[in-house]
Amino acid sequence: MENKIIFGRAEAISVLIIIMTTQLFISFPRLMAESGGNAGWLLTIYVTLLSLFFFMIISKLYKPFEGKDILDIGEYVAGNTGRILVGVIILITYVFIISIVLREFSDGLKILAFEKSPVSFIMIFFLIGMILAAYYGLEPLTRYSAIIVPIIAAAFLFIIIGVVPNFDTNNIIPILGKGPSELFLKGATKISVYSGLSILFLIPPFLGNYNNFKKTGYYSIILSSIFLTGGSLVYSLAIPYPATTEFVLPIYTLARFIDLGRFFKRIESVFLLAWATSAYIYLSIVLFFIVYVYKKAFKLKYHSPLIMPFSILIFTFALLPESMMAALELESNIFRVFAWIVTFCMPLFLLTIASIIKKKKRVKK
Amino acid sequence: MVDFIKTVKDFFAFKEPKEIEQFVLKEDENEKPKPEEKSDKKQKPKQKESFISKLTSNNHQKEKEKEDKAEDEKSVGISKDINENLEHIKKVYNIPDNGDLVIREFEIVAKDKSLNAFIILFDGMSDSTIINSSILQPLMLLSNVEVKGKENDLALYIRNHLIPHNQVKMVEKISDIIDEVNFGGSGLFIDGIDKAYACDTKGWLQRSVDRPNTEIVIRGPQEAFTEGMRVNTSLIRKTLKDKNLIVENFKIGKRSQTPCSLLYLKDIANESLVDEARRRLENINVDFIFDSGELEQFLEDSTFLPAPQILATERPDRTSNLITQGKLAVLMHGSPFALIMPITNSDLLHSPEDAYVRFPFSNLFRVVRIIAVLLSLLLPGFYIAITNYHHEMIPTDLLIAIEAAREAVPFPSVMEILMMEFAFELIREAGVRIPGPIGPTLGIIGALILGQAAVAANIVSPILIIVVAVTGIGSFAVPNFALAFSFRILRFVYIILAALAGFLGITLGIFVHGIMLVSAKSFGVPFMAPFGPRTSDGIADQFLRSPIWNQEKRPDYLNVKNQKKQPEISRKWTQKEKKK
Repeated sequence: MENKIIFGRAEAISVLIIIMTTQLFISFPRLMAESGGNAGWLLTIYVTLLSLFFFMIISKLYKPFEGKDILDIGEYVAGNTGRILVGVIILITYVFIISIVLREFSDGLKILAFEKSPVSFIMIFFLIGMILAAYYGLEPLTRYSAIIVPIIAAAFLFIIIGVVPNFDTNNIIPILGKGPSELFLKGATKISVYSGLSILFLIPPFLGNYNNFKKTGYYSIILSSIFLTGGSLVYSLAIPYPATTEFVLPIYTLARFIDLGRFFKRIESVFLLAWATSAYIYLSIVLFFIVYVYKKAFKLKYHSPLIMPFSILIFTFALLPESMMAALELESNIFRVFAWIVTFCMPLFLLTIASIIKKKKRVKK
Repeated sequence: MVDFIKTVKDFFAFKEPKEIEQFVLKEDENEKPKPEEKSDKKQKPKQKESFISKLTSNNHQKEKEKEDKAEDEKSVGISKDINENLEHIKKVYNIPDNGDLVIREFEIVAKDKSLNAFIILFDGMSDSTIINSSILQPLMLLSNVEVKGKENDLALYIRNHLIPHNQVKMVEKISDIIDEVNFGGSGLFIDGIDKAYACDTKGWLQRSVDRPNTEIVIRGPQEAFTEGMRVNTSLIRKTLKDKNLIVENFKIGKRSQTPCSLLYLKDIANESLVDEARRRLENINVDFIFDSGELEQFLEDSTFLPAPQILATERPDRTSNLITQGKLAVLMHGSPFALIMPITNSDLLHSPEDAYVRFPFSNLFRVVRIIAVLLSLLLPGFYIAITNYHHEMIPTDLLIAIEAAREAVPFPSVMEILMMEFAFELIREAGVRIPGPIGPTLGIIGALILGQAAVAANIVSPILIIVVAVTGIGSFAVPNFALAFSFRILRFVYIILAALAGFLGITLGIFVHGIMLVSAKSFGVPFMAPFGPRTSDGIADQFLRSPIWNQEKRPDYLNVKNQKKQPEISRKWTQKEKKK
């Protein structure tokens, strides 16, 4: 049924932007500051260029496989085993990150506005939204993203403009931060900030043709990079370096700086709405793709019976870290270090082999 | 007990999704399903025979027998023997129990033969003057005059020369006469002819064309539909003088046989959309139907979505305008509202006046309306969220003012607002039912009790009165009554969500509400188009309205046959001036 859905490029780009930029609201600017010092924003540009380069290679390799997702390619390379293996790898990655993000968002909200509520209570609200949206399917989620992304972008822009009076250009000097080696060698693994791109390799059947796939990839990376670079640059400009590594919720901290006269002093609540909305969309899309990948990997007929069991699993995993800091550590030390393997290396590897097999088949013919 | 266990089981167990005939308005005309496929789907037998269906199968059989009997009655032909026909009519109409059926027996002379005849009609529903002057008088008096008719067939001779009435149909079945008589017509039977004459002699009293009641405008036409369908179609024809305007007739209701019309522009409306509307209208199996409100519920895509998916309007000008965009309208006899389909969310937020006032004014109206929608839906929820969870959001002075006003109130704010909203709904409901002259009294009582006394008694805080009042005004500013209704329901949901988790709850509400809206369809058109999904053209008159000369294309999501509404330069005089 889902394969019959074809959605437009604008919807697909909106989904990918949400998937790749939601981290901005949690810990992204701080992680960049930790790795690149004053040059967190430069590091973001660097990893954007890297991911564009990798995507360029992947998209070229993808050309002969129009309309096939990464699971289909796994099947092409190694039959059922290949498909299941790829599916399980993606499942593990997604369940891991969705549990962490659910925990981070819930704990973040607890810090912001619900200091007396247990974290599980906040999580249940997210879970209800995720479950209902996943039942409605991918099409409504993409359409909703297309409507909401410009609004969230406007809220983000509003925060950036509001923080301008706090800018100090001295904060981003030295330009290369911790130095070129830290930035360009060690920093390369930070390409994992674009791990959300892996969703792009699951949506070719919905996107229609190859051209759409390619353009969606480039546009989403470039637009996301504008938000991510903008976020880390503004953070670095407004707060001096050593302090940038200390705030749990960097963008929220920036929103608190906003002072637009006597009435608009506490504008951060606007941030809360944008934040929770992007969280709902992010979590719902990832949950949908978890059940979708499971369904496709194991060739099941329906995906909807899987939503509840996976939601319960995610809820349980999200409660495992002892604190928000433990969850953040899991994200920065494990996910953001290794996610690039699943996002970029796996497709590269599979597509290379698939291309070789295809060429061999052609030669045989 | 069995039902209860079944319900619990149904709730927890996974069921295979039922196959529902879903219509999607596709980009390409060629993509529309072939008629053979449709009929195959319609004839698809039910897959499983459940326990309950087995129990009720006996009833189904009886119903089927009844239906067959009714079908047999319908196919009864007209006899050459007039007495047989008379007896049949008397039996059908339960004469003499039925008091208002008039059976007038008389004699006519045709082709030098004297023939018995009778005419039937309902007293009060037919126009006696027309019957007397156009049917009875010619038949009884003029039939004696020599007429140079060449026809050998007596039935044809009588129709062509003796009945000067303008709308006469020769029919062969009694049921056709009954349908006509039931709808104010009259049926003429003549001895020796196996045909009868169904004459359109409608003449019941009905409301004349009046000013609109619910869609009042300052600038623009001041006419509204009435209960008579032909009056309504003529109102549209009068406004939309286009040869391609098609008015297709349907009858809905097995017994009521209520006439309906489907209106569209043949060279603009998407064909598969017209087919779908036709399919839905032809496949409504109900005994009686009285109003377009009922028809709307039979036609709409989703029953459980709070927002309406069909627009009801009482204005001929608005109906015509929407038809020119490529939409379809359905008129129903007895209803002063036209149903417009497909619609999107923005159609519900537009007022007919938007097109008639100048560009800056209409945009101001629209912005005000959007704010009204947000206020009507979210303001009470926001009040609860701010006073319970997010005190920091508002300036300290305002917070102190709110808290000071609430100090003496013994209820939690959520109880307070639920009480007041309920009281407001109560006044609104009572206001509709209350007889005209007492209406203002209710307003005074409401204002006194809710406004002054409740505050003085420290039951509610004055700020809350402002919140409820602004919410109420907001809901009245929503141009579509049905949409305002959906907000009235959802407002309570948002209040509860805000009481549970402040902004997080409200965001959950907005998210789920949004997902429901974007997944909804109105006759195959996504409800939130052109925003979600994004469509390229026709956004000139959606959220805001661009200048009238800039609205060059019809909405893309309607996939119309002719998308261009006007050329790129519609004000040719601007070009001429440039040349000079």
